[in-house]
Amino acid sequence: MQKIGFKQITLFLMILLTLFIFALVLEIITHTDSVSLATNVVSPEIQFAIRLSLMTSVISTLMCIFVAIPVSYSLARYNFPGKTLISTILDLPIALPPIVAGLGLLLVFGTTAAGQYLADIGLKFVFTPLGIVMAQFTVNISLMLRIMRSTFEGINPRYEHVAQTLGCTPFQAFTKTTLPLAKNGILAGSVITWSRGMGEFGAVLMLAGATRMKTETLPIALYLNMSSGELDLAIAAATILILISGVTLYLFERKGGIAKLY
Amino acid sequence: MIGVKHLEKKLGDFTLEGINLSVKEGEYFCILGPTGSGKTILLETIAGIYNPDAGSIIINGDEVSSLLPKDRKISMVYQDFMLFPNMNVRKNIAFGLNYNSFQGLEKAIIAEKVKETAELLGIYHLLERDPSTLSGGEKQRTAIARAIITEPKLLLLDEPLSALDTGTKGRLRQELLRIHKLKKTTTIHVTHSFEEAFTLADRIAIMHGGKIHQIGSPDEVFRKPNSRFVADFVGVENLFHGKAVVKDDLAEIYVNGLKIISSILRSGDVSVSIRPEDILISKNPIYSSATNAFTGTLTEISRMRSTVKLVIDAGIPFRVVLTKRAYDDMELSIGADVYLTFKASATHII
Repeated sequence: MQKIGFKQITLFLMILLTLFIFALVLEIITHTDSVSLATNVVSPEIQFAIRLSLMTSVISTLMCIFVAIPVSYSLARYNFPGKTLISTILDLPIALPPIVAGLGLLLVFGTTAAGQYLADIGLKFVFTPLGIVMAQFTVNISLMLRIMRSTFEGINPRYEHVAQTLGCTPFQAFTKTTLPLAKNGILAGSVITWSRGMGEFGAVLMLAGATRMKTETLPIALYLNMSSGELDLAIAAATILILISGVTLYLFERKGGIAKLY
Repeated sequence: MIGVKHLEKKLGDFTLEGINLSVKEGEYFCILGPTGSGKTILLETIAGIYNPDAGSIIINGDEVSSLLPKDRKISMVYQDFMLFPNMNVRKNIAFGLNYNSFQGLEKAIIAEKVKETAELLGIYHLLERDPSTLSGGEKQRTAIARAIITEPKLLLLDEPLSALDTGTKGRLRQELLRIHKLKKTTTIHVTHSFEEAFTLADRIAIMHGGKIHQIGSPDEVFRKPNSRFVADFVGVENLFHGKAVVKDDLAEIYVNGLKIISSILRSGDVSVSIRPEDILISKNPIYSSATNAFTGTLTEISRMRSTVKLVIDAGIPFRVVLTKRAYDDMELSIGADVYLTFKASATHII
């Protein structure tokens, strides 16, 4: 008989954990039969939640890309006093529980003069779909910044130097050399940001609220339907979220994560 | 003419202090210095990548220190090639023809210029290749082609040969010389290799610790170093001028009546150098083929920290370095007669 040693214990724990995670997922998708699952997925409420989640997460991902590219570029390329402090503050949303970020957003947009001004010119964030976008953006921007910063740091600034001596403005040099070379990083960051946006709950709940058929994203639909005992609808929402995670993981594996950079 | 006046720049741990340079039209100018002496920053400041803290940079009469790199009519080649990995060789070479005065240039003219430049560098057959598939020498030829196609007023070369293997280095050095003769582009070439500077430069500036220590022709800098640092850094001792004749598979170089045998086949007027540590000294003769053996008189002994430097007059003065132990074992004194031997392969011909 083989001795039970350290190796066997670690392997056993590994199998146990795998089974545990697999069981979680399996339990959700097999809880209802496929016919009622399909019916629930095409129900108006879940259809609305899918559309709203897709729309808000795509918009917030685009916002993350457009903000993260210049900001992370400046962090990667320039040195300035207070850089460490700024970098720490920008990292904060990663460590902050989303629900706390959501509370901050609610206070900023709901109670300050700046928030009032934005609402007056038509940018209402509190308890609106726009708030969903803002909540997703706030929670995800830090991660996007980190990915983009390490991407830019991995690209030799001399490409831009050469391009500049050959006639490019600094901006042209960036768009002709560093930006195309950062393609994989941008792609990887976008996939993570998008998938996290689809699943964002805490911050969305605080700023946009949980109003059926108004600010009802997939996670909110899951939460609302669980609260009201509509388990089948909740499971439909959960199944779609699982599907999205699967797609994200697949894209990541195929692209080799953010590891493949020039 | 290129002028750098009282240039100051602080960047991280590096500083440039009061740099003054003037490079003549069409001159090949080398900046020679050890790693970390600030050579690359000087080059990049001239290029406009960094703004100087003080001082001025003049290219062909224009003060350019406030201009963007693109408006300085310069090109730059780096040690690590920096070919754009997202473009093939053709697009890399043609890159500069999309901007500045070249904007809107006809496709046929671009193709013609690329062909001409690629042929000049001997890389015409590589035009459709991806840069990652090229050898080091081919990469640097591409980078040089990309730099000269825009006909810059000033070509900046940052250690262009340092990343190449010895054989490629020698060939590309000849190429640089040939292209410079042909195009006569004013060139500033930064290197840490004395040999490179000596063979290429019309004039050399010795740089160390962010300062220029000496400027002069290679011969001047070599013969009359103005400081201890320059003397040590240039450090090519035992450099003799003579006439070389190739016989069989060896060259015989006649220097002041002495025949030095070299494995480098070169004829005519040459300069030959032998590293002091490559010369063996002994009290009795050592014979072997392909070996240089002379007798001489010990005329000078200078003790360093762990070595001893000797000067032995064998018709021409040879400088020899010994370890302290070896020196003590030999019990030498001024005026002693000794034998000098060194291999034919230990000679360098410049």
